[in-house]
Amino acid sequence: MMKKEFTLLIVDDSAIIRSRIARILSDPRLGFIRMTGMAKNGMDAITQFMQQTPDIVTMDITMPEMDGVECTEKMIAFSPNCSILVISALSDKATALKTLKKGARGFLYKPFTDEELIAAFLELVHS
Amino acid sequence: MKNIDESDIHSFVNAVSGFFLQVTEEKVEIRSAYLVEDGIKPTTFELTSYITLSGNYTGRIYFSAPRALIAHLLLMMQEPDRSEERLLDAVGEIANTISGNARKHFGEAMEVTVPVTQATKPDWLEKTVSPRSYAILVKWKQYRASVIVDIQTIE
Repeated sequence: MMKKEFTLLIVDDSAIIRSRIARILSDPRLGFIRMTGMAKNGMDAITQFMQQTPDIVTMDITMPEMDGVECTEKMIAFSPNCSILVISALSDKATALKTLKKGARGFLYKPFTDEELIAAFLELVHS
Repeated sequence: MKNIDESDIHSFVNAVSGFFLQVTEEKVEIRSAYLVEDGIKPTTFELTSYITLSGNYTGRIYFSAPRALIAHLLLMMQEPDRSEERLLDAVGEIANTISGNARKHFGEAMEVTVPVTQATKPDWLEKTVSPRSYAILVKWKQYRASVIVDIQTIE
């Protein structure tokens, strides 16, 4: 049976992207997702992740202090059932494969439309 | 130095165009592309972001736009905060998209940094970019913006 509510941590160094993802969460189709935090770099993300242990993380790759690949690896080591959706402008296959190998469950290329992000969330929770 | 060809130029333009198309459902138009040489300056606007390249490449990719364009973009993104910080953040995100596309086009031997953003200082770019860099002027709605490509390969 699918969980009734999924908690989410948004990780991105761009404030407008964090704000945009948070806004898209207000779509009624995503009513089962509750945002618990936003982090602007990998170090901040790890700290919040340890405290909140969210069900889902949206993860940027190119970030200061700790990149999304390393951050993904650390999060999966701590909580293997967490679903990490990588959202990155790095649209080459090598980067996508690298994060998937570290345990990410999905990859969405920037720039994305509202519908693409909604579809990615729905796919993530139903997979 | 690597000679930038037409497909390279298109990859940069496509990145900018793709960003605007995805976010605003409107494409950008290419107005012109030219070599920055003696006497020909790169066209810059009030806000500029750049990505520094490493790996098998060196140089930078710049995106420069007027505040009005970026404020309009944030409006279309339904972003309520249109402070200078948010404007710079948006310019950086466009540079980030351009660099992501560049890495896809040139290969993973091109490594990219996080974007650096700033209010454009007068004459700063023309003193910074290498001779024979490329400047690409684009138009979105009534606004102009520029992409400046300063790439060299490491032999």
